[in-house]
Amino acid sequence: MTGAAASPNGSPGTTRVSIASGPLVGPVLRRVVGMLAARADLPLDRLDDAVLVADLIASRAPAHVAAASVDVDLETGDRTLHLRVGPLRPGGGDALIVDATVPGVGNVIEQLADDISVQPEGEAEYLHVRLAYPT
Amino acid sequence: MRAHSPTPAAHEHWRPVPATPAPVRLSLPARARNIAVVRRALEAIAEELALPRRLVEDMRLAVTEACTNVVRHAYSGDEADEPNALRVELRPRPSGMLVVVEDRGRGVGPSPDSGGPGLGLPLIAALTAELEITHGPDARGSRVAMLFVPAIEAA
Repeated sequence: MTGAAASPNGSPGTTRVSIASGPLVGPVLRRVVGMLAARADLPLDRLDDAVLVADLIASRAPAHVAAASVDVDLETGDRTLHLRVGPLRPGGGDALIVDATVPGVGNVIEQLADDISVQPEGEAEYLHVRLAYPT
Repeated sequence: MRAHSPTPAAHEHWRPVPATPAPVRLSLPARARNIAVVRRALEAIAEELALPRRLVEDMRLAVTEACTNVVRHAYSGDEADEPNALRVELRPRPSGMLVVVEDRGRGVGPSPDSGGPGLGLPLIAALTAELEITHGPDARGSRVAMLFVPAIEAA
């Protein structure tokens, strides 16, 4: 996968949420993402997009994470929300994106995100997703 | 509920809260705007678990107060912007929830602008079934563990 998403890894202002794989991943992640998308001043349609991406990550990521939890770093910028999902098992980043394909619709994350990239870090890899709205 | 006296002196005698795996963990800069993020996560869990409304209101208030203590008192300057400056663990229990709020700064203490302890800790104590406050080495960092259970069980 390609893209030019900058990393929010450990930088000031990063919010990190770690949720044990299970029924709480979706409800917690969508609320946190929705909150931060609003803080980033994304317009309502892009906020909805961000929540939809969060829902897809929540439903697909547990099958591809390197541990027993879904970890997401979130960073807001000027009308920009950046998600870093992982650690994922090797190959998990691309697999997660492929899993986000909805029959008849296509790959939802690819369609909604401005940038997607999978970056290796150590023995794991991370999925970076950036949603923005042009200012 | 209200299993404990809200008097500050009672803090010394409260039982430790047993540790369990944490299903949800948040690490954030210790800034006021992030308290709302914690509240959103708490509300999501409460809704998913169908926790009683009164319990959720107690949790919201106490957790907000604990996080506010970190934001106001734990750090000076840019330390508050570190990603791990405010850490919150939300651990659902068979009935209720264990919430742990941690910082790596000066920890909880008297308000510098009031010259003495405020209402925050007594309020938290009044809203929790069990409360444990511990400090790190050299008084660096603090950990506030709050156990919430429905009122009928804590009575």
